[in-house]
Amino acid sequence: MKIEITVNGRKRQFDVEPNKLLLNLVRDELHLTGTKYGCGIGECGACTVHLDGEAVLACMVLAVDADGKQVDTIEGVAEDGNLDPVQEAFIEEGAIQCGFCTPGFIMTTKALLKENPNPTEHEIREYLKGNYCRCTGYVNIINAVQSAAKKLQS
Amino acid sequence: MAFPNMLYGRVLKSPHAHARVRSIDVSKAEKMGAVTITPDEIPDVTYCPRLVSVPEATYKDWKVLADKPHYVGEAIGAVAAESEEEAQKALEAIEVEYDVLGASFDAFDAMKPGAEQVHDEIYLKDDLLKVENNIGCQLSITEGDPIALEEADVVIERTYRTNRRYHNQLETKSVVVRPEADGGISVWSTTQTIHNTRLLLHDIYGIPMGKIRVYKVALGGSFGSSIHVNPVVTIAVALALKSRRPVKLSYTREEDIRDHCAYQMIFKLKLGANKNGMLAGGRLEAYLDIGAHQIQAYPLLGCIVGWWVSLYKLPYKDYVGKAVYTNKVPSCAFRGYGNPQISWVVETMMDELAGKIDIDPLDFRLKNYIGEGDLFWGQGPSVKSIIQSCGVEEILTKGAEMVDWYNRPNPEEQTGRYRRGWGVGRGYHTSSAGAPVPSSIVDFGGAILKMNEDGTFDYISALMDHGCGTQEAHVKIIAEELQVPVNKVNIIRGDTGTTVYDVCTHASRGVYSGGGAALKVAMKVQEQIRSFAGRILDAYPHAVRIRYDEETDQTIIFAEGIEGREVSYREIAETARHKNWGTVASVESYRQPSCPPHFTGYFVNVEVDTWTGKVKLLRVVAGADIGTVINPLLAAGQVHGGFAQGWSMTTLEDMPYDPIDGDLVNRGSIANYKVPTTQDLLDVDDLTVFFADTYEPTGPFGAKGIGEGALNPVAGTVANAIQNALGVRFFQLPITPIRILEALKEKEE
Ligand code: FES
Ligand code: FES
Repeated sequence: MKIEITVNGRKRQFDVEPNKLLLNLVRDELHLTGTKYGCGIGECGACTVHLDGEAVLACMVLAVDADGKQVDTIEGVAEDGNLDPVQEAFIEEGAIQCGFCTPGFIMTTKALLKENPNPTEHEIREYLKGNYCRCTGYVNIINAVQSAAKKLQS
Repeated sequence: MAFPNMLYGRVLKSPHAHARVRSIDVSKAEKMGAVTITPDEIPDVTYCPRLVSVPEATYKDWKVLADKPHYVGEAIGAVAAESEEEAQKALEAIEVEYDVLGASFDAFDAMKPGAEQVHDEIYLKDDLLKVENNIGCQLSITEGDPIALEEADVVIERTYRTNRRYHNQLETKSVVVRPEADGGISVWSTTQTIHNTRLLLHDIYGIPMGKIRVYKVALGGSFGSSIHVNPVVTIAVALALKSRRPVKLSYTREEDIRDHCAYQMIFKLKLGANKNGMLAGGRLEAYLDIGAHQIQAYPLLGCIVGWWVSLYKLPYKDYVGKAVYTNKVPSCAFRGYGNPQISWVVETMMDELAGKIDIDPLDFRLKNYIGEGDLFWGQGPSVKSIIQSCGVEEILTKGAEMVDWYNRPNPEEQTGRYRRGWGVGRGYHTSSAGAPVPSSIVDFGGAILKMNEDGTFDYISALMDHGCGTQEAHVKIIAEELQVPVNKVNIIRGDTGTTVYDVCTHASRGVYSGGGAALKVAMKVQEQIRSFAGRILDAYPHAVRIRYDEETDQTIIFAEGIEGREVSYREIAETARHKNWGTVASVESYRQPSCPPHFTGYFVNVEVDTWTGKVKLLRVVAGADIGTVINPLLAAGQVHGGFAQGWSMTTLEDMPYDPIDGDLVNRGSIANYKVPTTQDLLDVDDLTVFFADTYEPTGPFGAKGIGEGALNPVAGTVANAIQNALGVRFFQLPITPIRILEALKEKEE
C-alpha cells in the first residue's frame, strides 16, 4: 500500500505491506535506529515516537495508520545541532545509564511537558509509567523531567 | 546496524524440555531460498561460552546447535533469509522429528537416583567427566573447629529458597556478523567482553585470531547476561560463514527471556552465636539450580562461600555447594553473582540471631563485620587479599542516626490494617578479582593512550561500558593525571584488532581495574611528556611542573620560578613531530593487586497493608563506601538502580516452569514478568544516598567499584523491614502479597 508520512519534518513516500509496523518502517527502512525495540507488545515504551505530536508506541501502530500524518522520532528532536532542553536535562541529571530507554523517555517527556508544563512528581510518574527502565530506578529520570520543565519555562 | 546485502537470521528451537533430534529436514526451507544450518554442519566442539576462569576450572557442556536439546528454547538449527519475515517462514517449513525424553524442573528431583540425566558426560578442561545425579560440579571447604558451632549459646538452622529472575535488560541479545574477503569475520554483538568473544569463536571455528575482529558496540544493559558469549553470536557466525553474506540475528523479547536467567539457589544455613554478641560459626549447604548448561557454575560455588564468609567473622565455617542440572534455561551471572541471594539469607538470619541473643541487630552487625586489616576472599577461596579501606562503621552509625534507628517500632506492638517497619541490611561486593597472586580467575585489563598532534589524547581500551559510565570515569582519571579538561581525552571505540586484552566488564571491576589500567598509561604518557618538555625547556623532566591554563585552554609544563621556561602540550606535540622525536604514546596491561570490597548498608522503611498483603516503600537511606567517588551523579545512579532491582527481586520477580510442557509459566511474555515501573517505587525525596569518606590505597585516585554492592543488601534489608512491621519472617523469595497474607493467616492460627 502506498502511504505518505512526514518524518521529522520531511515528506516521504512508502510502499508497505498492510501488516508493517511503524516501528519496523522507522528502524529498517528509514534507519532511524534511535527508536528502539524492547518488547514489540506495548510493554516497555522503548519505541515511543510522536504521531501528530502525540506520544505513541511505534510497535503498536501500523505504518498504514500513519498515512498522511507526521511522525517525529528522537533524531528530529535536536534543532540546528543544538540539543533539546529535555535532552540536555537528561544528560545533566545523570538520567542515562545504558541509554536504551532514553529516546522513549525523552519522547514521552516532551509530550508530557507540552500537555502539562509544570507537572508534580506524582504526575510525572503517572505519565511515564509505560516507559520501562532497568538501569536507573527512575530517580535521575524524574529529576531530569523536573529540570527540563524548569528549562522550558524560563 | 545494517550492511548492504545483509541477511536476517532466525533460530529453530526445541519445543521440548529434553529430547533427541531424530531428523531435521530443511529441504522446504531451502527451496524457499533460505540458507539453513543444522547440528552436523557445525564443528563438533564442546565448549563453555564464558572464558573468565582458567581452563582447569572451566566445565564444558555447550554446542552451537544441540542434537539433544536440554530445555525449551535450546537452538537446534537456524536459517538466514532476505528478511526476518522470510526467515521466519522458512523456519516454520523445517520438519523435525524428536524422541522426547524425561525431564527435571527441580534441583532436588534431578538429584534423586534414577532421575533422567540432563548430561551424561561433560568436559573439565579437556578431560571427559561422567555426570552423576545431575550434579554438574561441587565444592566444599571447612575452616576452624566445629566445636565452636556445636557449643554456641544459640544456633539457628533454616532453609531458604530464592527466585528465578530474568535480567530483562532492555536490549535483547543481538549480533551482526560479516564474513570478510580474507576468510575472517567481523562481529558486532551484545557482549561484555570483545576479547573473550574472539577467543571462543577462534576455539569453535578455528579462524585465526587476527582474522576475527570483534567490535565494541553500545549495550542496552546487560547486568551479567553477556559475560558469556550469547548463543546468537555463535549461531550467526555459522550462518554468515555458510551464506558468505552479512547476517543479522536479533532475539525477540520472547526468545530473550528463554535465553538466560539468574541462578536460583536453595540454601540450608546453620549459624551460631554466643551471648556475648559474637558469631561462633556456621554451616552452609548451597544448591544451585543451574538449568541445562554450565556457564560459570563452578566459580560461582567458590564465590557463594566467599560472599558468605566475608560479611561477618565466622571462627568456624563449613560449606558444601552443588550445582545441579535441570531442564530449564541456563543460568548466568546477574548483578551480584549470587551475592544478593546469599546476603539475603545471611542478613535475614543475623536479625533472627540478634533477637535470640537479645542484642540490637545493628549492634550485632557492628560487632561482627569484616573490615580494615581483615583477610577478605569475597571472590572465592582462590582470590584473597587484605582489606585496606572500610566504611562499614560510618555507614551504619550515620544511617542509624538519620533514621532514628534505635526508636524503631516493635513488631509485636502493631495491630491495625497498615503496619510499618524499619529494616537494616548490609552488602558488599568485590571490586574486580585482583589479588597479589594468580587465582583461577583471569583478571587484568589494558589500555592505549596517545597524544595527538594538537596536544589532545586518544584513549583506546577494550573494556566495555554497559551503562555504568565506566569509560567516562576512565577519562576523568586520565584527565586528572595529565591535568587536562575531560574534553581533551577522546574515547576511541576499538575492536579486538586495535586494543589490548581486557578480560570482561564484570565483577564491579570497570572503574577499579579498568581505571587502574587507564591510570597506568596516563602515568607513562606523563613521563614521556615530561621528557620531551625537559628537552625543549632544557630542564630536568622530574623537576618540571604541570598546570592547566584556563585562558589559553592549554596544559602547560613549566620550570617553576624560572622565567620563559614553559611550554604547552600542543607545542610539545608539534615539536615532537617537527623534530621527528616520535609520538607520545603508551600501551600497558594492568592487574590489580587486590580486590577491595565496596561496602553498602541500607535502611528501609515499609508499610504493609495486612488486608491486601501489599508492601509500600516509605523511606530508604542508602549508604555506600566506594572509596573516592569519581562520578557522583552516576555513582548515586548505580545505587538507585541497584535498589530498584533489589526491590524487584524481593517483592516481584520469579519464573516458575510449567511441569507439563517444560516451558515458562509466563510463556515468554514480559507482560507476565513484572518489574517496577515509575509508579512502584518511592518518591525521589524519600530516597537518600550518602557516601562514606574513605580512600582505597590500591584504587585509581582511591576509587573502588559500586555496581553490584548497590543491589546486594536490598533483599535482606526489605525482608527485615517487613519482619519489623509484621513479626513474620519469610524464607522464600519473592515476598509476594499472597505469601504475606498466607503467613499472616498462619500466624493468627
Ligand atoms: S517495543 Fe514498543 S512498547 Fe516495547
Ligand atoms: S538507562 Fe538502561 S534501561 Fe534505562
